[in-house]
Amino acid sequence: MTTTVAPPGTASTTPARAPRRARRWGDHLFVVPAVVFVAATVLYPLIFNIDLSFRDVGVAQIVTGGAEWVGWENYTDQLSRDDFWHALVISLLYTGLAVAAAFALGMALAVYFNQRFPGRNVMRSLLLLAWILPTVVSANVWRWMLDGSYGLINTLLEAVGVVDGDVFWLARPVPALFAVVIATAWSFTPFIMILLLAGLQGIPDTLYEAATIDGAGAWRRFTSVTMPLLKPVNLTALLLCFISTFKTFDTVFLMTRGGPGEATMILPIYAYNEAFEFFRFDTGAVATTLMLIVPLGLSVFYFRSLRREETA
Amino acid sequence: MTATAAQRRRGWLSAGGVLITIAYLLPVYWMLATSLKDSSDIFATPPDLFPSPITLTSYTETVVNHAGIGRGLLNSTVIAVGTTVVTLAVAVPAAYALARLRVRFVALLMLLFLVVQMIPAVNLALPMFVIFSRADLVNSYVGLILANCSLAIPLAITILRPYFLSVPGEVIEAAKIDGCTTWSAFLRVALPVSVPGLITVAVISFLGAWGEFVFGLALASDEGMQPITVVLAGLTNSFGTRWNDLMAVSVVVALPIIVVFVFLQRYIVGGLTAGATKS
Repeated sequence: MTTTVAPPGTASTTPARAPRRARRWGDHLFVVPAVVFVAATVLYPLIFNIDLSFRDVGVAQIVTGGAEWVGWENYTDQLSRDDFWHALVISLLYTGLAVAAAFALGMALAVYFNQRFPGRNVMRSLLLLAWILPTVVSANVWRWMLDGSYGLINTLLEAVGVVDGDVFWLARPVPALFAVVIATAWSFTPFIMILLLAGLQGIPDTLYEAATIDGAGAWRRFTSVTMPLLKPVNLTALLLCFISTFKTFDTVFLMTRGGPGEATMILPIYAYNEAFEFFRFDTGAVATTLMLIVPLGLSVFYFRSLRREETA
Repeated sequence: MTATAAQRRRGWLSAGGVLITIAYLLPVYWMLATSLKDSSDIFATPPDLFPSPITLTSYTETVVNHAGIGRGLLNSTVIAVGTTVVTLAVAVPAAYALARLRVRFVALLMLLFLVVQMIPAVNLALPMFVIFSRADLVNSYVGLILANCSLAIPLAITILRPYFLSVPGEVIEAAKIDGCTTWSAFLRVALPVSVPGLITVAVISFLGAWGEFVFGLALASDEGMQPITVVLAGLTNSFGTRWNDLMAVSVVVALPIIVVFVFLQRYIVGGLTAGATKS
């Protein structure tokens, strides 16, 4: 599993309906370890990272500390670098394409497996295997399937006449981007399918029956009944998938390491390289801190859509 | 429509479903098939859909004899089990209190635990490397388990809280009237009825830590401490085009996941969709 984000609906932000009696301080002891843990392993590192981003951190200062405070200098440097903006564009392109593909396919699968037929539950669960397989494993399998000379994908595409001759997917910029998008979408699709299935099950059959009596065909029923009623679920699933995909590191790192050239250099890999390849922890800290804006900004919309879904 | 026509339609739908499932899981089959091929069969053109001859050489010679793989599997086991145990110990009481006890700031804390899950792992791995370097925790199980727990605990709490919310408050109140303390009501009443939720969280924490890559890559530079995912990533370079060996290692890495998936699948699906059907 690449990303484990809570599925929609878990964000019940309404407090437990406990009667308004005196709160017992002892009860808080149950929560204290979790709060301390999250503060120490998430909030503290994040703040530490922001602090790093304002300092001039050399290799020596990684262990010793005491790096000099330089103010916004690292930020202005970073924002004037073309490769940073390039990584942002690639990240958004990669995420947008993968989410679009996973959503379209996930929707198609959800509608298909929402029909009643023997074995559908088993098949639905089996498809989830693609989602829970470690990304390191699936990325490796895709690398092999997309191999230029002996890969299965080229053979299949040649058989149906889409490509002619060997396509070296991971060695050319545009095909490489498509390759990582396909591998990512493959993992995320079953997850989206499960989220959408939950929404589809909430649509009463009577609406479809009424639409059928009114003469609506399958496509019309989908566009006039399914899609409008699924709108809140769709929005939640799209936002959740976008945030999770934007964070993805392993798939691209394993398949291309950001290459060829910088064709698939997404922000998480860019930031990782800054710190762990070039030992520039300060610029790495700047890049990761700036990168945080996208998922946190979107999470505002995500929580809003969750609340709307709950009240719907 | 006659009954037989409806039945026939369902039969066709089932057949279609089987085809879709097979096509979708083709990469999984291809991984397994390749791992059973010999080194000349992997380069057959067109590719051999079924391995011929079927050979276990990749497993018996490469996987078993490669020291790094055994070590990586051991490391991953320690890290994943450690993460699961710590996550359960910390998240279960917290989720229970946030669902059933009178604590402050429930909405705020739940929001915090959700927002935290939006953070990319690299954002934590980078400062953690610096912090751990100074605390001498790089290349240690403690460091790797702490790193894995950072995101596993918030996830576990968001999954578990709905389970505890579904435990009727009256049952817990009744236990207290019968003389149970808050703690023993939690242990003796709430926990036993929430076992499915506990299994779900344990499974999801374990799977998450087993497949984790970024923390392992950033916080374990020493080869002897790397989890199997990082070892596998390293082998992609050293094995080159020995795809059968590489796929055999991939199968071994995926195996615990597949076994857990087969036997505990309803808990996983339940965890992934917890709340999606509105609790």
